[in-house]
Amino acid sequence: MEQGVGKSWRDPELLWKALPSVLLQTTCFVAPLVMTFLLTFQRTRDFQLRWTWDLATWTDVFSKPHYWTILGHTLVMALACVAICLVLAFPIAYGLATRFKTLENEIKILVTFAFITDATLKTFGWVLFLDKKGAANYLLTGLGFPPEMVSFLFTDWATLLGMVYNLLPFAIFTLYLSIDSIDRNLIFAAYDAGASKWRAHWEVTLPLCKPGIFAGSVLIFLLGVGVFLEPKVLGGGTSPMSAELIRQTFETRVNWPLGAALTFVLMVVSVFLVLLFSRVLGMRRSGFGA
Amino acid sequence: MIIRGGAIGPPPFCFNGGSKRDMTSAPILDIRDIHKDYGSYQALKGVSLSVRQGEFIALVGPSGCGKTTLLKQIAGFEDATSGTISIDGRDMAGVPAAHRPTSMVFQKLALFPHMTVAENIGFPLKLRKVAQGEIAARVNEMLTLMQLKPIYLDRFPRALSGGEQQRVALARSMISSPKLLLLDEPLSALDVKLKKVLQSELKRLHRSVGVTFVHVTHDLEEAMMLADRICVMRAGHILQLGEPADIYYRPADAFVAGFIGETNLFPVEITSRAKGRVRYSAGSFDDASGELPEALVAEAAQGAALMNVRPELIRRIGPEDKVDCRVTARVTEVFTKGGTVQYRAHTSQGMDLAVEIQGTSRLPMEVGEEVHLGWNKKDIWVLPGGEP
Amino acid sequence: MTKTWYSDLPVYYQNQIKAMGLDEAGLARRRFMKGAAAAAGVAMLGAHSRQATAATQMTYMCWEGYNDPRIIDPFNKANGTEIGFDLIVDSPGGFAKLQAGASREVDLVSSDMPWITRMGPAGIAMELNPDDYADVYATFYDQFKPPFEPLLNDGKTIGVATRWGWVGPCVNTDVTKPEVWKTYDPVFDPANKDKICVMDWGDWPILPMALHAGINPYEELDQAALEEVRKVLRAMFKNTRTIVGDLTQAQKGLLDGSLLGCIGAGSYLTSAVRKQGHKNILGLVPEPKNGLKQGIIWVEATAILKETDQPELAQKLLKHVVSKDSGKILSLLDSTCNVVTNKAVEELYSQEEKDILQVDYMWHAWDNSQMHRIAPNIDEMLAIWQEELAAAK
Repeated sequence: MEQGVGKSWRDPELLWKALPSVLLQTTCFVAPLVMTFLLTFQRTRDFQLRWTWDLATWTDVFSKPHYWTILGHTLVMALACVAICLVLAFPIAYGLATRFKTLENEIKILVTFAFITDATLKTFGWVLFLDKKGAANYLLTGLGFPPEMVSFLFTDWATLLGMVYNLLPFAIFTLYLSIDSIDRNLIFAAYDAGASKWRAHWEVTLPLCKPGIFAGSVLIFLLGVGVFLEPKVLGGGTSPMSAELIRQTFETRVNWPLGAALTFVLMVVSVFLVLLFSRVLGMRRSGFGA
Repeated sequence: MIIRGGAIGPPPFCFNGGSKRDMTSAPILDIRDIHKDYGSYQALKGVSLSVRQGEFIALVGPSGCGKTTLLKQIAGFEDATSGTISIDGRDMAGVPAAHRPTSMVFQKLALFPHMTVAENIGFPLKLRKVAQGEIAARVNEMLTLMQLKPIYLDRFPRALSGGEQQRVALARSMISSPKLLLLDEPLSALDVKLKKVLQSELKRLHRSVGVTFVHVTHDLEEAMMLADRICVMRAGHILQLGEPADIYYRPADAFVAGFIGETNLFPVEITSRAKGRVRYSAGSFDDASGELPEALVAEAAQGAALMNVRPELIRRIGPEDKVDCRVTARVTEVFTKGGTVQYRAHTSQGMDLAVEIQGTSRLPMEVGEEVHLGWNKKDIWVLPGGEP
Repeated sequence: MTKTWYSDLPVYYQNQIKAMGLDEAGLARRRFMKGAAAAAGVAMLGAHSRQATAATQMTYMCWEGYNDPRIIDPFNKANGTEIGFDLIVDSPGGFAKLQAGASREVDLVSSDMPWITRMGPAGIAMELNPDDYADVYATFYDQFKPPFEPLLNDGKTIGVATRWGWVGPCVNTDVTKPEVWKTYDPVFDPANKDKICVMDWGDWPILPMALHAGINPYEELDQAALEEVRKVLRAMFKNTRTIVGDLTQAQKGLLDGSLLGCIGAGSYLTSAVRKQGHKNILGLVPEPKNGLKQGIIWVEATAILKETDQPELAQKLLKHVVSKDSGKILSLLDSTCNVVTNKAVEELYSQEEKDILQVDYMWHAWDNSQMHRIAPNIDEMLAIWQEELAAAK
């Protein structure tokens, strides 16, 4: 196996066959990344890009704490979203994969619909529901809750709600696929070996879902880091996240080098966290060969 | 009529492989009138079975007969609709699988892919909160018992060969010293050669540990080789329960006769039973005497019945040779199969016969030849007629 | 019309042949077959190269509304054009896009006036000769007739003003009184905490706040002045419940009374709601404070791009956009209603429509407002905005 891999680098035919993929990767992935990075060493003056090749942008990035406050806030929100999504999605996905097997097709169609329904639409739907004059407040006030309780809209919690709501299907789907692929006999084998339901879950189901948990977490984390709609619409825009900061920098300030630098920082930190997470979860353990 | 079964049984002297054990003690497994319904589908329709301590019992039958369902009830993976299961004198109603003194070897082994071999084998002890050191010692013990090399301990199951995985699965099931080892067709996916090796391995294991084995299989030859008793099931019922020779030579009905191996069933009409003799008439072969000792006739056989004549009991005879029953036939096919030769022949009465002759016969037959065939009333068996 | 080798071809191909200069006499001497082959080749090229089809295809970069089919369709019909649109979602973004190369595609652009003016020195927009537009200017309000200083670059006119309005407090008179909003003080009143909405529209909410702080953002600002801007923004965030990027969201909040007032917008926000019959929603302009006018007048303008290959058609389209009929449609859209620069349109309005547009109020607003242009220190102010926003919670 290892030998075969070593050989392939010297196999002209294989190299030739890999060329389209390499070209595609280079043009669509590596080149934009390199260009983004190069952009960070320029400046804009009078809304025009100047090729200055200096570190002014990076000096700005590292000297202004608020870029980092926003980045920190973004990461915390994304991580919270990952945690909540996993906790919510696991029982749902587990139920779908085991208890409601007969409804499998209907459920898959519903989840797919959740994917394709426009997130903007759903998010604004929540505004109507959570609004001071919305259904939720009417209900809560009617039940005698104090006014502080009902001003939920335009807080970080509302942002988080929107993020979880929009990203939950991704978690359900990835977890569903990974739970569904577990041989039921493994669970029986665990019972047979003397495991309680809870123990079988902990020792067998959960570890075997690791690839699904990892994939779902990474997906939600990266999507969560990139949200701009939820903080703006549900969060009231008073507590912006990185995507909004980058959009503002690119569009409103027309400061492309700064936007590129902020994008780069966000990307590097996110990738670092994903790698860290993969290490923590032990995704490299040979049981999965991930 | 030829009924083709899954396998041809080995000769009678091979059967008593399992040593006879104490028959008088209380049964280790006692199943009473178990019913299991899946919605409107009845998988088990009143099954009762008693298994003695240390016995090796095989549940056989075609797929859908309920053998695996019965095994699941014993293991506790499913609750029976009605009936009781007792293990070692204790009613298992409401006892979850985790607390039953049983252990299952699954069809696809169900080794945990995320655990090493050592973790897999030691898993039942880990759940029982056995100390680390003792687990390691027990795992090593199991390794020796299963003839596995210690270098496998840190590997993951998928890095092992099929046979090695099989041994690991057995080791995991045996480590907790279960009273009942349940085997759900664990050898079915293996190639013939490996299967033979593991069959004798199972046999050896059974002899050395003295645990009661309940082995589900659709492979008759395997059941014949391994089991002390065979339980033939069909459509949720037990058709026959008995020692392999019993089942082979005295099948309860035409289904068992056919399932257990290729055979010839001649229609006969029983006219009377008296003084240990049974009188009958047969249109499909010639029998000058027209009677049989009662020991060769099933209790239930009345009126229209079937005479079960295994292919190896039929031989070629000369026109003047004296045999109890005879028939003339034209040979239609010849197969040479190892040390035996199998023939197909079409009788003058219009029946297709299977004939098996050991070694080189004095009188070889050729396709198209008109021959006399005959058998004696010694190992034949008359069973109730009609389609079961 | 003399018969040529290509006159039997469809008009579409004839136009292309003309555009490519293939109708020269030298070509006519060539054999027919060769010419036909060339024509076929040109036709193939035409499918990919805009250059060849420019006679009919035009691109108009504009705010939503300018692309209204009631405005564009008659023009297409009359001139045999096919106009494609590149809609602007925010002015700097549109400017940046043109600068990044879209100017090669676009023929005409309608955007916020400061950005149009800026397209002059940036080499994007063409300088206009006001005399060519005398017919258009004839019916304009005097305020927008040339020389209209904000649209001048180095004394040269860059574009023609089209639509305008004012920026000031947008209020619901059911929950607040217009008199209260003679200044921006209610924005900072603790009693109004969480009842003030700020539009997340780049510089728009920053500029009025700077004016309130006594800083004229249209002048070059020093560090002390920027510090004042920072202070006022910080105070504003303290009292703000939501920063809204979406027009309808702010309109809804005003309508249901959960918001007293909205900052960073003006007639652009209120008029559409007024058109729906909610006359309790008003766009106001505060009184001057210490001699500094507190309102801001925004103007949209239209300019022809330097690189257009259809200067005549682009000019024609520009004149069409500011015409009386187009002006009426443009001023009363469903999404937003705003007065236009063409005075002739006024006589087309009904009393109700005048009320919607607050026509009676518009010159009062004009008199109490600054003219919006590029604020020299806007990038610093935007950076301050981001910093203060990040620190606010």
